[in-house]
Amino acid sequence: MLGNVVRVAAVAASGGGGRLGSSAAGAMLTSRTFLKRTRAGAVVKVVREHYLRDDIPCGAAACRLCGARPAGAGLEARPAGAASHLCPGPHYLLPDTNLLLHQIDILEDPVIKNVIVLQTVLQEVRNRSAPVYKRVRDMIANPEKHFYSFTNEHHRETYIEQEQGENSNDRNDRAIRVAVKWYNEHLKKMKNEENIQVIFLTNDRNNKEKALEEGITAYTCEEYIKSLMANPDLVDRLACISDEGKEIESGKIFFPEHLPLSKLQQGIKSGIYLQGTYRASRDNYLEATVWVHGDAEENKEIIIQGLKHLNRAVHEDIVAVELLAKDEWVAPSSVVLQDDSQNEDDIENEEEKENILKASVNKNMLRPTGKVVGIIKRNWRPFCGMLSKSQIKEARRHLFTPADRRIPRIRIETRQADTLEGQRIIVAIDGWPRNSRYPNGHFVKNLGNAGDKETETEVLLLEHDVPHQPFSQAVLSFLPKMPWSITEKDMKYREDLRQLCVCSVDPPGCTDIDDALHCRELENGNLEVGVHIADVSHFIRPGNALDEESAKRGTTVYLCEKRIDMVPELLSSNLCSLRSNVDRLAFSCIWEMNHKAEILKTRFTKSVINSKASLTYAEAQMRIDSAGMNDDVTTSLRGLNKLAKILKKKRIDNGALTLSSPEVRFHMDSETHDPIDLQTKELKETNSMVEEFMLLANISVAQKIYDEFSEFALLRKHPAPPPSNYDILVKAAKSKNLEIKTDSAKALAESLDKAESPAFPYLNTLLRILTTRCMMQAVYFCSGMDNDFHHYGLASPIYTHFTSPIRRYADIIVHRLLAVAIGADSTYPELTDKHKLADLCKNLNYRHKMAQYAQRASVAFHTQLFFKTKGEVNEDAYILFVRKNAIVVLIPKYGLEGTVFFEEKDKTKPRLDYNSEVPSLTVEDTTFRIFDKVKVNIMLDASNIQHQKIRMVLVEPKIPGKDVPANPTTEASVSNEPEKKKKKLQK
Amino acid sequence: MASVVLSEAEKLYIVHGVQEDLRVDGRGCEDYRCAEVETDVVSNTSGSARAKLGHTDILVGVKAEMGTPKLEKPDEGYLEFFVDCSANATPEFEGRGGEELGTEIANTLYRIFSSESCVDLKSLCINPREHCWVLYVDVLLLECGGNLFDAISIAVKAALFNTRIPKVRVLEDEEGSKEIELSDDPYDCIRLNVDEVPCVVTLSKIGYRHVVDATLQEEACSLASLLISVTSKGALTCMKKVGKGSLDPESIFEMMETGKRVGKSLHTSLQKILDEEESLGTTRQKVGFLG
Repeated sequence: MLGNVVRVAAVAASGGGGRLGSSAAGAMLTSRTFLKRTRAGAVVKVVREHYLRDDIPCGAAACRLCGARPAGAGLEARPAGAASHLCPGPHYLLPDTNLLLHQIDILEDPVIKNVIVLQTVLQEVRNRSAPVYKRVRDMIANPEKHFYSFTNEHHRETYIEQEQGENSNDRNDRAIRVAVKWYNEHLKKMKNEENIQVIFLTNDRNNKEKALEEGITAYTCEEYIKSLMANPDLVDRLACISDEGKEIESGKIFFPEHLPLSKLQQGIKSGIYLQGTYRASRDNYLEATVWVHGDAEENKEIIIQGLKHLNRAVHEDIVAVELLAKDEWVAPSSVVLQDDSQNEDDIENEEEKENILKASVNKNMLRPTGKVVGIIKRNWRPFCGMLSKSQIKEARRHLFTPADRRIPRIRIETRQADTLEGQRIIVAIDGWPRNSRYPNGHFVKNLGNAGDKETETEVLLLEHDVPHQPFSQAVLSFLPKMPWSITEKDMKYREDLRQLCVCSVDPPGCTDIDDALHCRELENGNLEVGVHIADVSHFIRPGNALDEESAKRGTTVYLCEKRIDMVPELLSSNLCSLRSNVDRLAFSCIWEMNHKAEILKTRFTKSVINSKASLTYAEAQMRIDSAGMNDDVTTSLRGLNKLAKILKKKRIDNGALTLSSPEVRFHMDSETHDPIDLQTKELKETNSMVEEFMLLANISVAQKIYDEFSEFALLRKHPAPPPSNYDILVKAAKSKNLEIKTDSAKALAESLDKAESPAFPYLNTLLRILTTRCMMQAVYFCSGMDNDFHHYGLASPIYTHFTSPIRRYADIIVHRLLAVAIGADSTYPELTDKHKLADLCKNLNYRHKMAQYAQRASVAFHTQLFFKTKGEVNEDAYILFVRKNAIVVLIPKYGLEGTVFFEEKDKTKPRLDYNSEVPSLTVEDTTFRIFDKVKVNIMLDASNIQHQKIRMVLVEPKIPGKDVPANPTTEASVSNEPEKKKKKLQK
Repeated sequence: MASVVLSEAEKLYIVHGVQEDLRVDGRGCEDYRCAEVETDVVSNTSGSARAKLGHTDILVGVKAEMGTPKLEKPDEGYLEFFVDCSANATPEFEGRGGEELGTEIANTLYRIFSSESCVDLKSLCINPREHCWVLYVDVLLLECGGNLFDAISIAVKAALFNTRIPKVRVLEDEEGSKEIELSDDPYDCIRLNVDEVPCVVTLSKIGYRHVVDATLQEEACSLASLLISVTSKGALTCMKKVGKGSLDPESIFEMMETGKRVGKSLHTSLQKILDEEESLGTTRQKVGFLG
């Protein structure tokens, strides 16, 4: 306070001369005053100077009254727009805040043009939703749309002050109306042959009434869109926001009310409620877990069960949860439940299902259980999925089934259900009233026919948030100009290694070759081994658009028949790719080793190489094996292979794990690109040879950058799993009389090696698959932000990614760090900011996870395509998991995993007896245990295009009393998803 | 304090003039100089006023902040005074020069406002024992032209009249924890009742008579003054003698009577001006510091 007074006094003392200026500008300067509460609880009065101007242009192209023409497109002189029978004349649209927030999808349609976005509206949008704000900004920037943002708050004639008894919302509404009025009067003055009108769009009843009273043409969004004669289908994209008042009148109330935010915050502060991220269960629509934020030790994970307790929360929302009393706690159910009731308001059915969950609860498994009392932040995004057409003819309301099973079905209103049926569409949620079983939403976009490869690929990319748009011009502008060649300048910090006999070994068809190797004998008898990695960081300079885009993408995503590049193709497949017989820039890691593969010297350098051969694994293997070949490349390969074997043995002796997951490859038809055959990947010696040296390079680099930058090294760690993760593995092994030790990685590796059964050769692989599922996710992290560096799977104290900069952004950062460490490149501020690095790691981890999921979803989709052509087959399968009402089986031949259910709707339920200790499931008189061999019938169930899925039916052992093939008692839905966490492609 | 040096002849001239009820600037003994008052001059305060009395120029800002009530008065808010003697007023105030005077004035203000009826302190309580409004009254001396106390008290009263305290609501949940909610309408605020806020009338003894609102020159001729604070109803809330001379009891009574009389009319005209200004609302052309 005092400071201010003194400052004012100083102005007063020197104020004599300013008299003239102040009176002239007086009318153009006002101040905006508002009160706010600080965190500490104090009330602060904030005063901002607010300057008004009289030279803000109206944006209309035909206007000669406003001096300066605004930059950008502005509003068209003759707004053609869409013909509307409500307002046939030329008009501009002026939406209010809520309209912009809720109906953004419709405004983005190319039909809607010439819209005035007021500053008042824009600011409110910005405060309320960052994504919508961004979309509005994009539209304003788009010259095609003719959106104009009018700075009404600084315009002398449209600025208004808050009046007594008016809250800030009322004031903003009034400001909008004043601006509309001004526009109408202003445009009249234009003396144009045709008078352009400004149409005010608002869905707020009060505001519309007031506007009409003031003589403004106002419509609701619905009225206007419906009046558009040429585009009847736009109506579907209207968001259906019901008025708050309407809700209570009709229908039953399904859900308890959400508490207001202020109450929630109070409750969270006092500890009655817990705040967390809501994660719906993939297998059971009546169950979810909430991950509580903060570092509380207990009640970290809260189970929510039953529709009422889930209380309209949607996957990924931030919610407030109230814990239930201990006697109401439940255990996570192992029932698989899918929401497939057709009758949407059938609540009894739900209760019955909820009872299924509660039955047979093991007292030891009880976990903290709660109910959702309010939503802190919705995290709704547009969802991909398909329409489940209503059975009632001519109905307009239909249910939409999202592709992601964790998202509830959404009710939408559409008149084009017939055209949308069988199409993949995108739908956005608008709201979820208390009296509705499902959330309400609106149609956004049609992606194309379900089952089409393009559509499905698009869906899975969208669902996994994989950025897959073509690279923008801004990004491409940072590519080197072709023809490109190595210049003097490039050679300054580089060693010329072109004379070395370097070669690359990759899978067939690989165009983005990022590593090459060499090995030669030195004069002193030792071996020199070099790993040469594409020098991507030479082309991608920090901070430019190309760098930012790569950092955002994080990784290249490999789908079955498509590659979503992280960097533009010119780099990935040409300039950075270490192809044979061309000079390429590389980052080399060179060791001097003795014949026992002990490293004597390590050296890193930027270099120029010229690969002598690009080989496939098979070709390399053949060269090593054929005694007749003795050229330089082959000798080099033999040397490498010999060392790799020693290295691998050392690594395994150290306790590195050899894990297994069923990997499949599709043979594609060259014409149709349909999968015609499927085989599991085969590993050759050369695969492991390349892998060994990559690991070695990664470890060496990790050590080097950590030594140099102990705070800013980007490393990769793989935490040891908590012992409880292994329970299922130990139990499963025990059932086969085998012992798995899990106290250390080494013990685990050794016991896995010993776990062989002569009668059951596939058992070992099964055990290894199961072990893989027990593992934690490996993650990138910044060394300054963490102190556990250990890589459990590789049994290495330190690890990073260095060897694939073409397809992983982490490697680019590591390259930059290493380049700075050896003085080959200069540093930049972000590189040595551990918080920036930590943020980057977060994004990379997310992108990697999503890329992995997208990849699996792609495999799943191609598996379906495969079985579509293949028809029905009977195959051997092994039980991988036993659930309460189903078994999960793995078919080794296809690496395919699926669930076989033992219960079916409208059928007498077989007697099921689940024992969670073994675990085992007894159906009638047949008992199923983990690893049991069964025979299943696999076929593509295309009867329902909506739920195209692979059905698995148990063939052997037969369950008594059930005639299996004729009348399948077991329904299966299949997913080629090795992990539970994975998203489903199709439901 | 700022003072002027006068010759004996000058002093005599003033004293003789006062004797005849005719002062150097033409006023009578009970006349105030022309006073100028403007409120709401500092926008980021809760209330502010500037008062000019002849060459005396005072700026007062009132800032309402949330605090905890004093232990002995758990259901009341309180006022804090701080006086800053700017070196702009007189070079003597430079550095820590004005500190002593500032403290003296602040202490006097505390005494004047110590009377319970002055300001309704209970209305400043938000919830007993926990939250109350604390009004920080900051006085800034811009220019000293005699009769500081009177000018300050006028400015303080005007600033308190102008003070708008945001309305807050106390929300209480089942657990008993309290949350304070601020209204989002800036017009939604409480005003103070300033009817009982006293004004200071300083009576300076010059020769055998006393004058009100002495100029610097007159102050130089006075050996003792009596400072009394009077409410609008004429009640006396505090009295203080300043200056090195002495006063005999009889003249004290006389001076008190004059003070009450003058004080009452001072209050009336001040209140009239404030109400008039208030009625203009936002249409009022602000003068501020550049006028």
